[in-house]
Amino acid sequence: MVWTRTALTPSLIVIVGFLTVCPVVMLLLGSFSEGLGAFGTFTLEKYIKSYTDPALIEIIVNTIVFMIGSALVATILALFMAYLNTRTNIPFKVLFQIISIVPMMIPHILFAVSWALLLNPSNGLINLLLKQIFNLQHSPFNIYSLPGMILVEGLLDLPVSYLIIAPAMSSFDVSLEESSKVCGSSNLRTLCKITLPVLRPAILASITLVAIRSLESFAVPSALGMPGRIYLLSTHIYRIIATGFAADYGMAAAVGMSALAASVTLILLYRHLTSESDKYVTISGRGYRPALIDLRGAKVPLFIIVALLSFFLIVLPVLVLLYTSLVPYSMVPSLKAFGMMSWKHWLAVLKDPVSLLSLKNSLFLGVVGATLGVILTLFISYTIVKLRTPASGILESLSFLSFSFPGIVIGVGFMWFFVRTPLYATIGSLLIGYIATYLPYGIRPLTSAFVQIHRDLEESSRVCGGGTFYTLRRIIVPLLIPGIVSAWILMATMFVRELSVSVVLSRPGNEVLAVQILRFAEDGLWGKLSALGIMMILVSTTLVVLASAAGAKLTKLRKEG
Amino acid sequence: MEIRIKDLNKNYFSEGKTITALSNVNLTIPANKIFTLLGPSGCGKTTLLRCIVGLEMPDTGEIDIGDEIVWSKDRGIFVPPEKRGLSMVFQTYAIWPHMNVFDNVAYPLQVRNQSKEEIKKKVEETLRFVQLEGFENRPATKLSGGQQQRVALARALAPEPKVILFDEPLSNLDAKLREETRKELRSFLTNLKITAVYVTHDRIEALSLSDAIAVMKAGKIMEIGTPKEIYFGSEQKFVADFVGRTNLIQGKVVSIENDGPLISTAIGTIACQTQTAPPVGSIVTVSIRPEFITVTTRDCGKERNSFRGRVESLVFIGEAYEGEIRVGETRLITKIAPTASIKEGDEISLCVEPDGCSILLR
Repeated sequence: MVWTRTALTPSLIVIVGFLTVCPVVMLLLGSFSEGLGAFGTFTLEKYIKSYTDPALIEIIVNTIVFMIGSALVATILALFMAYLNTRTNIPFKVLFQIISIVPMMIPHILFAVSWALLLNPSNGLINLLLKQIFNLQHSPFNIYSLPGMILVEGLLDLPVSYLIIAPAMSSFDVSLEESSKVCGSSNLRTLCKITLPVLRPAILASITLVAIRSLESFAVPSALGMPGRIYLLSTHIYRIIATGFAADYGMAAAVGMSALAASVTLILLYRHLTSESDKYVTISGRGYRPALIDLRGAKVPLFIIVALLSFFLIVLPVLVLLYTSLVPYSMVPSLKAFGMMSWKHWLAVLKDPVSLLSLKNSLFLGVVGATLGVILTLFISYTIVKLRTPASGILESLSFLSFSFPGIVIGVGFMWFFVRTPLYATIGSLLIGYIATYLPYGIRPLTSAFVQIHRDLEESSRVCGGGTFYTLRRIIVPLLIPGIVSAWILMATMFVRELSVSVVLSRPGNEVLAVQILRFAEDGLWGKLSALGIMMILVSTTLVVLASAAGAKLTKLRKEG
Repeated sequence: MEIRIKDLNKNYFSEGKTITALSNVNLTIPANKIFTLLGPSGCGKTTLLRCIVGLEMPDTGEIDIGDEIVWSKDRGIFVPPEKRGLSMVFQTYAIWPHMNVFDNVAYPLQVRNQSKEEIKKKVEETLRFVQLEGFENRPATKLSGGQQQRVALARALAPEPKVILFDEPLSNLDAKLREETRKELRSFLTNLKITAVYVTHDRIEALSLSDAIAVMKAGKIMEIGTPKEIYFGSEQKFVADFVGRTNLIQGKVVSIENDGPLISTAIGTIACQTQTAPPVGSIVTVSIRPEFITVTTRDCGKERNSFRGRVESLVFIGEAYEGEIRVGETRLITKIAPTASIKEGDEISLCVEPDGCSILLR
């Protein structure tokens, strides 16, 4: 291809190195410094202060319980769903595809808030309803609790877990099960003694990945944990920098170091497990379909469970937000409530300059950030897949490591850097922080697109008489378009909803949507929050639809030459 | 067009080691013939092909195609592949997955800025020629291996090139289809006035398809000749062994008769009918192909080149038995007619015609 190979790899290593190493180094240096203003004077004070804090033990215990709990919830649900989808004759299998993709489109902060709207102890809709029906004095449920947080985080990470377990389940060699049945085992016994043990690497990988995500998670701990005074590492860091009189970035960095160490350890474990799973899970021959188990009487009840699950995952959050954005205050749906509906909150949001600014900023970050991110990852993936120099291995490891970086910790690291530059409190600082944190989301689809372009496809075009540029235009770019579109969509939706990097880097003047929603949640302005939340979903959906349409159109044009 | 290759050298550097891909290759590929580069994998045959087409740059030497110099180290000439006007069929076919059959075949014509009507006419013609009429709108990925192979051929033929290059085009087909396609390819190429350079490691493909074969080993051209010359008349052990199964027997020239030398070997004296006889006393290797050995339970009828042996094993392979015969300490492989009434352990006679033996000097 045309890009000069000599200059490409080093300059990419510099850029990616800056994006991934800079925040970590700054975090490390910051943790040994007095404060943002006194950078560079060595002190151990911050470590002593943060790690002798008696509250830290409880925070760490909470975090571990939260991680393990949500990993188990997500993985068990995913196993259940994947088994039903790939191995049984359950009806409406298209539902499973929807469940595995659509929840990724709903911003985590909104999902968490919608559950708070349903189950918070003072005026959660379900609590109110149950109190009315059974004439209760107290609310039966409290979502502001560790079990509540685990449940919501588990549901949020279900798609991720499903995408790991389902392929392993469908590539599973059914003859292993059949021979167990021939030996006289029942379906259930076979499931427990053969199927699950063989799937162990995939199950462990799913547990590890969900644990990483819940360690990094900020939406659920902040929206559901902080109101109930349950702090995790991420919200603890947030408390150190965002509440009280003096934000202590040194202490935040010192605490952040252990969160970072934990997640890097977990991602290495994950990488080890996934390479193991390639070894163990037997892949059967082409065009092979495992025999489906007839569920008979259990078919309908199991289907109802799945349907309810998809209702909770997809429909309910959006419905609750829509409802809350239209009623004047929290009330159980009734004729009276429908009578009082109005666009009051929507109008209030549209008149609120900060909300409008955050809408504008997030849209800008989504479009411009994703475009820049795709261009950068395009070069990175090309280097990793096509050039294959020893240096491209460094690139791969760097960008893979950044997958494990908790957003809020990276935010703190970047804060130490940006405060020294004119980028501080600008939208540019967010742009850089976002691209650094979400680089792997662009690299994944683009590397697989590049893998698809065999060298022969380029070369045969050249032999046919197509020059370098002609080949690029007619062969390479059209083949890359699907990968480019999905990388762009992934990054754009991530950026529009971004919360954990933003809570650190967003200052007055560069507010973004998710942070503004968090502010509304902290102030209990549910109506405004819901209206802004629905707008946020609309913005992401519009971007997805536009990008897919553009991709389809481009592919068509290119084909016709 | 004739292709002349002069003093071509090409080295690769990988992990600190130098790998010689081409070493002093000198070759003239005649115009309008099917010319095959045959050799084991890693012998440099694909590298040579890629140098001809321009996808790879040699370290030294010169390549002329027709009257044009497309590569010359000394004169600093390198014509890029898209300017050489050749066609190539890749081992993977390299069918573009985002285009349908028509677009794939039309591509080289579109590159050459031909008019729409002309392109349509030519694509139709070419597809008819490779028997893929009516497949125009089929997505290229929805084709079988054999059909993809023919699309690749059609794409190579569409611009009516003077030279077409094949890089192991049949290796991804299954055995039966490979045989059929080989015959088709032979008739396609002989009907067109075209120079074809064909790379393969399959000796049957090379022998049945080519007008001339160059056998390669470790970056060097070992021998060039017609399929028959290569098969029967090779003077090199490597070539004789590579192009077909053979029995190699060490021996010493004891005398030269009118029609050829007599060679004393472990199984007895072998009379060979060759034109170039090595001097008396030289150590040589005699090559006898299995199909030239007649096995009989009776006498051979004459004394010359008749040996006694015992049948060690008999394997039925369909069209014949493959027999392993032990003569003294030497084991010889033979082809025995499936109707012959011979069992393992039988004492038999082996008869060899003198013109079925060849002498390998190297």
